[in-house]
Amino acid sequence: MLAVQVLVNALVLGCLYACIAIGFSLVWGVLNVINLIHGSFIVLGAYLAWGAYQWLGISPWYALVIAAPLFFAFGYLLQRLLLNRVISAPVLVTLTLTFGLDLILNNAMIYYFKADYRKLTLSPPTGSISLFDVVVPVDRLIATASALALTGLLYLLLRRSKVGRAIVAVRLDRDAAVLMGVDVKSIYAIAFGLGAALAGCAGVLMALIFPISTLTSSAYLGKAFVVCVLGGLGSVSGALAGGLLLALVEGIGSTLIGPAHATTLSFVLLIIFLVVRPQGLLGRKGFE
Amino acid sequence: MVQSRLARYARISGSLLLAVAGLAVSASLASAEDVIRFGAPLPITGPLAPEAVKQQQGYDLWAEQANKAGGITVGGKKYKVEIVYADYQSNTPRAVQTTEQMITQDNVNFLFGAFGSGAAKAASTISEKYKVPTLAATASSSQVYDQGYKYLFGTFTPNDTLTTPLTQIIKAKAPEVRKVAILARNDLFPLAIAQEMEKSAKANGIEVTYFEKYAINTLDHSATLSQIKSLAPQWIFVTGYTNDLLLIRKQMVDQQMRAAVVTMIAGPAYQEFIDAAGQSAENISSASWWHPAEQYAGKDVFGQTSNFVKLFRAKYNSDPDYGQASAALCGALFQLAIEKAGSLDREKVRDELAKMDVVTFFGPVKFGANGQINSLEPPVFQIQNAKPVVLFPDAIKQGEFKLGVN
Repeated sequence: MLAVQVLVNALVLGCLYACIAIGFSLVWGVLNVINLIHGSFIVLGAYLAWGAYQWLGISPWYALVIAAPLFFAFGYLLQRLLLNRVISAPVLVTLTLTFGLDLILNNAMIYYFKADYRKLTLSPPTGSISLFDVVVPVDRLIATASALALTGLLYLLLRRSKVGRAIVAVRLDRDAAVLMGVDVKSIYAIAFGLGAALAGCAGVLMALIFPISTLTSSAYLGKAFVVCVLGGLGSVSGALAGGLLLALVEGIGSTLIGPAHATTLSFVLLIIFLVVRPQGLLGRKGFE
Repeated sequence: MVQSRLARYARISGSLLLAVAGLAVSASLASAEDVIRFGAPLPITGPLAPEAVKQQQGYDLWAEQANKAGGITVGGKKYKVEIVYADYQSNTPRAVQTTEQMITQDNVNFLFGAFGSGAAKAASTISEKYKVPTLAATASSSQVYDQGYKYLFGTFTPNDTLTTPLTQIIKAKAPEVRKVAILARNDLFPLAIAQEMEKSAKANGIEVTYFEKYAINTLDHSATLSQIKSLAPQWIFVTGYTNDLLLIRKQMVDQQMRAAVVTMIAGPAYQEFIDAAGQSAENISSASWWHPAEQYAGKDVFGQTSNFVKLFRAKYNSDPDYGQASAALCGALFQLAIEKAGSLDREKVRDELAKMDVVTFFGPVKFGANGQINSLEPPVFQIQNAKPVVLFPDAIKQGEFKLGVN
């Protein structure tokens, strides 16, 4: 029974990890920018959900609808006004820029929200469902479903819409896309905006599950990074596969050899992937 | 034309020079005023930032109170208190550097220890080298004090003074508790207290069915908690900081884990834990070094414990916890020692600290030969109706231990 419970826990957690990572993966894959501000976006999304619930009584499910456009606009402007200026510079420059922006956003959040830990507790609490002694918390289940829905939406957007095809085209071959008349700067801004919107929505969902604090931003960023390497960059299904693999390894590892080593195990896996399969589980070789 | 412009420049630059000179004079006047400088290296940024804020609140409150009363009296002369802060970014090696800088460049007279046992121990090597008396507000592990240092003093009793009374209460009130599961954050203090718990449990005939560490920054504990649940312990003992404990408590509820006793150290002493955990904080037991319900008639600048709590509330609009109180206490102890020594001589102040035997708002203070306080009885408490209720020591007991955490 314990084995089934651990497996179920890992499946649910894997979807949450995918939710954390997907926006990060999109930005990395399309813009070739390692977006270090991603973790702080998630935390900001969590604060938004907390504030909306605490002060305005808006449930997190509606907060998702508010967060998506807000974060999209924020991300779009950030890319248009700042990142686009250095986008063709070496990767270290964009890395440093997002690092600096992350410091600013993170410290601004400490300043406004203080360093106290907060928790979004729904009343009445959502509780857990148990089936044959296997327990699944409802809030995680809903977050998982929302994560899957967001992932599905992004997949459809990239596959079916004109903008989505343009994003994929830019990702595959920037120069060819320019020749075909794609406005690359605007596509970059849209992709970054989408990444930010996904991070904001992830934050809203995480607010139900994890304590809210600016300090968790680095933990989110770390998970997003590992998931992307495991799953492969820029592909929607890759983030899902990476998230599930990471959660399974952590869950089984912490049951068999103890929770102190679960993180070590996941980073060992990361190194193995970097050496043996640098394109990740579902990433395709040959694209930057 | 050119000449007049030149003359104007000359006038402007002249007056600027005068202004600068004036500033310099006033600055030297300010520093000529009698102040005692206390260095406080703190993790103002990084993961330990929330703890640094608490320390700072304690030091600032003491400095404000001391200065309000005119300052510290040294041989009939009043000295103002000045606290010099420096950020070591939650990075222990940097805490060591910062401490050295404070002594050699900032010319502090005395030092407060770095935060927690680990950093305080590392930085104490420096203050010992320069023979600067240091009061550590938040170092409890005995490994900090077994170095044979003469200039280091600490206001937290050893870790076993928290776990032993707790185990004894539970043994007396809940005889059905036969198995305990211990989960510890892999960090100096949380791990040390978990190891003390393991010893206390064994000494009291309680079987330790599970003892594991979790990594710092762990985002999910579901696998670990499922495993603990399958072992069905009557007592679940978890150590960590507020963030970890909130997450673990939430996941325990998610997994529908129930136990007769759930103990968490060191989050529940903080109001923010109770606020954030809400209903799930009920009946969680814990222990800490100080509690606002204590009643001591102190001989220090704060006097009664209730007076300290009142002043703290007025300044920060929240209840003080043991970390803030201990920081304020360190300041108050320096004040007592300096006034008694009647001198700013580090050697004399150090001797006064070593001899100290005084009741403060924090409780009776007396340091052992190793520099660690040995006069306190840390309170055991339980969250009941969203309030911490003191169960031990008997002198300040507020309620009875309640069984059952759902």
